[in-house]
Amino acid sequence: MPPNRSNLDLSDSDYDEEVDVDDYDGGRKHTGKTKGKELPKNRDMGLGGKDGYSWEATYTRTWDAVQEDEGGSLQNAVEDLLARGRRRRLLAPTGAIRRTIIRHLVILIDLSSSMLDRDMRPTRFDLTLQYTREFIVEWFDQNPLGQVGIIGMRGGLGEKIGDMTGNPQEILKTISDRDKLLPDGEPSLQNALEMARSSMNHLPAHSSREVLILFGSLTTCDPGNIHDTVQAAISDKVRVSVVALAAEMKICRDLCNKTGGAFGVALNEGHYRDLLFEAIPPPAQRANPSTGGSALSSNPSSDLLIMGFPTRIPESSAPSLCVCHSELKRHGYLCPRCLAKLCDVPTDCDICGLMIVSSPHLARSYHHLFPVKPYQARTTIADAAPETCGGCSLAFPVPRVTLSDGSASGVSPVGRYGCPDCQKDFCSDCDEFVHSVLHVCPGCS
Amino acid sequence: MSQSAQSHLTLILDLSPKQWHLSSLEPDGQALSLLSFITQVLAFMNSHLALRHENTISVLGAFPRKSVMLYSTPGANDSGLDSTAPQDANTYQPFKTVDTIVSSRIMEEMESISDSIDSPTGLVGALSKGLCHINRVINPATRSSIESSSPLDPRMLILSVSPDMSTSYIPIMNTIFAAQKLKVKIDVCKIFGEDNVFLQQAAHLTGGSYVALMQRNALLQYLVMCFLASSSLRKIVAFPTHDRVDLRAACFCHKDIVDIGYVCSVCLSIFCSPVPVCSTCRTKFPVKTLRRFGFGPPKAVGNGTSKSGSATPQ
Ligand SMILES: [Zn+2]
Ligand SMILES: [Zn+2]
Ligand SMILES: [Zn+2]
Ligand SMILES: [Zn+2]
Ligand SMILES: [Zn+2]
Ligand SMILES: [Zn+2]
Repeated sequence: MPPNRSNLDLSDSDYDEEVDVDDYDGGRKHTGKTKGKELPKNRDMGLGGKDGYSWEATYTRTWDAVQEDEGGSLQNAVEDLLARGRRRRLLAPTGAIRRTIIRHLVILIDLSSSMLDRDMRPTRFDLTLQYTREFIVEWFDQNPLGQVGIIGMRGGLGEKIGDMTGNPQEILKTISDRDKLLPDGEPSLQNALEMARSSMNHLPAHSSREVLILFGSLTTCDPGNIHDTVQAAISDKVRVSVVALAAEMKICRDLCNKTGGAFGVALNEGHYRDLLFEAIPPPAQRANPSTGGSALSSNPSSDLLIMGFPTRIPESSAPSLCVCHSELKRHGYLCPRCLAKLCDVPTDCDICGLMIVSSPHLARSYHHLFPVKPYQARTTIADAAPETCGGCSLAFPVPRVTLSDGSASGVSPVGRYGCPDCQKDFCSDCDEFVHSVLHVCPGCS
Repeated sequence: MSQSAQSHLTLILDLSPKQWHLSSLEPDGQALSLLSFITQVLAFMNSHLALRHENTISVLGAFPRKSVMLYSTPGANDSGLDSTAPQDANTYQPFKTVDTIVSSRIMEEMESISDSIDSPTGLVGALSKGLCHINRVINPATRSSIESSSPLDPRMLILSVSPDMSTSYIPIMNTIFAAQKLKVKIDVCKIFGEDNVFLQQAAHLTGGSYVALMQRNALLQYLVMCFLASSSLRKIVAFPTHDRVDLRAACFCHKDIVDIGYVCSVCLSIFCSPVPVCSTCRTKFPVKTLRRFGFGPPKAVGNGTSKSGSATPQ
């Protein structure tokens, strides 16, 4: 465990830090994926452990995973699940992973009638929406400066569902309304690809342009020659990846091969998720998967970048010309070096070339660098222990006298969890909240 | 108004003795003493509670190097009301209870401050405690015991007098993102001192508003006009809009607030001047890059003098 740094007691010297890179090695793999990964895993087991196509599988009952105890109560089973989740979180090492600086991704979601197929439960469509939500959260976690847009393929047209944005909440909102996205008609790869390409046209040359297609159909209904679109994508350096839900289509495979993307056909729900989540790490990293501790520090692609943090001009200010489109606009961002007004960040300043990013986007990933130390489950209440929690300042819940091996599973029998640094006691709600959401110890700060 | 949700206000009072002393020394018409501040805030708290019977409040104080929950509306867990106080026919008892508890707690804490008058306030502690409180209160398991069924609409108001605390940049940002996740709006009223970069960002990122007082002696009016309305009402009334938002960050090495920074591409740590090795993740940076930034052996690292000026545009 690296020394606790959550209270930001960083010394002035840049060299005497004692963060052990090896400790961080691949740690992200656990933390990042534990959240949702358990589910598909269990489901795979439900399929009899074989990796067959989902339509070959036998009927599965998810409720089989939860067992009643002798008294016919689910209480213990649920407690056990919670405790196990807790322990997993405590054991998962937290640390630094490689993040790409600026990525741009457009997700093309097939909304044709083939998505209503039920070979993946509940339907391909519902599963896709659910996975896309998880994907977006995880993607932004690992690519904090990235931007994502969503385009749907429905009724032979490309349909803009969410504009390119760096705000995960905004994107999640656009796909939250299931009823607006109900599948219908035929998909058109060409229309949607053209739309995705044009939405990334304005981007600076060095930033990545990626398209991820979630394709359930076996046909595409295009107005022109799709091979022209493929050529255009190649010349624009757009990298196209496809996750097919039905079967391999030659045009999809070609599209990926020619643009340097990945192609995969999902066998079942779990495999679908794995294929989708493979698109989260930046492409460069995937080409060179050796991210061991020593490799990390000598990685040639690690670099020091100069970035500018702009001032945001509100919608209510007087209109002025932007340097990127030469249009009169009210809202914008000022380059800190040359004071040019830019429409959106992250981008490169058109005047002085400085990379302009919003610093909160960077800060979103800092909790991985300086995690809060795990609290220790208290087994007894100390004599001088306060009556209220050090976080929420409310009284501790009345301890329940249950759970025989409470201490072993990391659950405190008295419902108190102590910070190893400030020695304050916290209730289990706060323990959970501090480590999963807040990332600041209320007692230490 | 009737269908609007019960609203929970978390009030964070910045109680730095030094800043309040400076504030009271301002020229006529602009001076605001701590006592007059407390009276006006109490009136504001009472009006929030009076708006709707179910409204709740919690008040946190950020003292030098310390943060304390001063008062929170008694819920299922608390039996806060002291029945010993004599009843006064001319006062509304709940208001009186809030007022006495808050003001006496502030005085208690103020008196216990000894040598640390200059230390930065525990604003981050107050923010994180406030969020923990909100998290526990809106948690359905706990809520069922607190009688009400209408959805809770939590928001936060920070009354700030202290300057930016760049040493706690990362914790502050973490609390902002946590507030975002809990859908808690953070409003900021800057009563005294220069504009606060990180609190501006807090209001901006959570959809709250940042208001800097022009007329300090009209504090109560500002509070009532700007911050009394619940979020459902804010869609209807003309609300103070965002002014410019300063999106600067603090460097990891000196905790200076910078507008141009050097960022490690691996872990995104920010430095105010070029460094050969990232102090956070130990990544070594290519010599070529460092030369381009004008980093050489003769220049001492860490004195922070070679800021943006030495950087060459690409
Ligand atoms: Zn523009
Ligand atoms: Zn510029
Ligand atoms: Zn608590
Ligand atoms: Zn602590
Ligand atoms: Zn510095
Ligand atoms: Zn680094």
